[in-house]
Amino acid sequence: MALSAPSAARPSPHHPLQVEHLGHRFDTTAVLSDVSLHVAANEIVAIVGPSGCGKTTLLRTCAGLLSPTSGFAHRADRAVGFVFQEPALLAWRRVAHNAALLSADQALVERLLSVSGLAEHRDKWPHQLSGGMKMRLSLVRTLAARPSLVLLDEPFGALDQITRHRLHDEFALLHAEQKFAALLVTHAIDEAVYLADRVVVMSQAPGRIVGEFAVPFSRARSASLRYSPEFGDLCGRIAHCLEAHA
Amino acid sequence: MKKVLPPFVVFAAIIAGWYALAYSLDNNFASGDGSALIIPPPHRLFDGLNDATIDRIVSATLISAGTAFVGFLLAIVVGMALGILMMSSRGLESALWPWLIAVQVTPIIVLTPIIVRVAGPSFGARVFVTVLIAFFPIASNTLFGLRSVSGALHDVCTLAEFSRWQRLTRLEIPGASPAIFAGLRVSAGLAVIGAIVGDFFFSRGTPGLGRLVTYFFQDTRSGPMFVTALVAAFLGLGFFLLVELLRRFLVSPWHRN
Repeated sequence: MALSAPSAARPSPHHPLQVEHLGHRFDTTAVLSDVSLHVAANEIVAIVGPSGCGKTTLLRTCAGLLSPTSGFAHRADRAVGFVFQEPALLAWRRVAHNAALLSADQALVERLLSVSGLAEHRDKWPHQLSGGMKMRLSLVRTLAARPSLVLLDEPFGALDQITRHRLHDEFALLHAEQKFAALLVTHAIDEAVYLADRVVVMSQAPGRIVGEFAVPFSRARSASLRYSPEFGDLCGRIAHCLEAHA
Repeated sequence: MKKVLPPFVVFAAIIAGWYALAYSLDNNFASGDGSALIIPPPHRLFDGLNDATIDRIVSATLISAGTAFVGFLLAIVVGMALGILMMSSRGLESALWPWLIAVQVTPIIVLTPIIVRVAGPSFGARVFVTVLIAFFPIASNTLFGLRSVSGALHDVCTLAEFSRWQRLTRLEIPGASPAIFAGLRVSAGLAVIGAIVGDFFFSRGTPGLGRLVTYFFQDTRSGPMFVTALVAAFLGLGFFLLVELLRRFLVSPWHRN
């Protein structure tokens, strides 16, 4: 199935992330096979794929938390941010301290807290926050370190739909402000299309890239986009590609 | 009310049982002056408690409290150090763990000659026994707590390039602190028990509560003996409450059970 769409940005050694022929095995089990992709500056790339296809392994390899068995993942900058499936907050530190954990730029921390609506909760403990607020705080902590590349591993997966949609808009706002490159792993096709510039589809394990879709919508996206025929059509084509390789 | 009532009911039951036991024992009141020989009833607990006896009990309490306190502090250092050491390597854990259990289950009396050789026959030996009895819950809970720290938080530290020391002090120890405090609560009581047990075996120097109980028992002064035993119980409770107070201050605000 040749669904590769021409991407807006071409591979370059200066891209924040360049992955070439990457493979990974756990003992005798192949998890990733010959994965090549890149993320350009200020670009958001989403990865969708069935459960267990190696999306998280790919992300962890890109972050340097795992060593690939073959190929490589090159990051232009050491400063890489990672937003995990769980908020991974320091339970013994208040909101303000968690936000500033990875950053000495207090002014930026304060601004991010304010943009994300957490400023008034700065003195609360993490256990006093809702699931959505915890995830926002995790995002703020990551972005406060000013990473040129942010890797997101299903960060909105555990949230209800209303909170998820609200966080999508906040994420887009923060991205517009900070202009980082992002690689987003998600199960939700609509989330991928709403947030990303490109959507990459992975096959069942061993995961490989079986499709790539350029998202034609302009960056300033509003909630009404989700109900447009073009949005539905693109989601449908991605879903079809996923099902064909599941 | 629901919280206060049950302990009072148990307290009343204990007092009732105490009276029943004191008045059901044969020859309990066979002494010339009518004081109890074996178990004094609660209202006659303070019979025979003169100033000299009170001074002895106060002095013994200070000795035992000092021994328990120093032993408890050392048990915290030793227990946490062992927990951290075992967490750093599975090999070290499997090498050390069986021996820690062996030390824990070995009766102190078997170790008495070695302890005398190592720590001398008085204060040092009592502290040594206290540490031996109290360190294990701290070591095992520290290990459990350190191993329970979230993998994602470890990844955050890896990506932030934390040094080993930063990871230990900023992530692992604070993250393990609820489990460590659970160990400390058990060990606080054990430290007092250790100080009193040590007193039985290492009798040189000023007597602590353990030896004083023995003296009063040998003199058939059951009132002072029971008072001394109660003081020992309250000393254990005091240590427990001290740890609980620290836990409430340091851990409770952020940790939900």
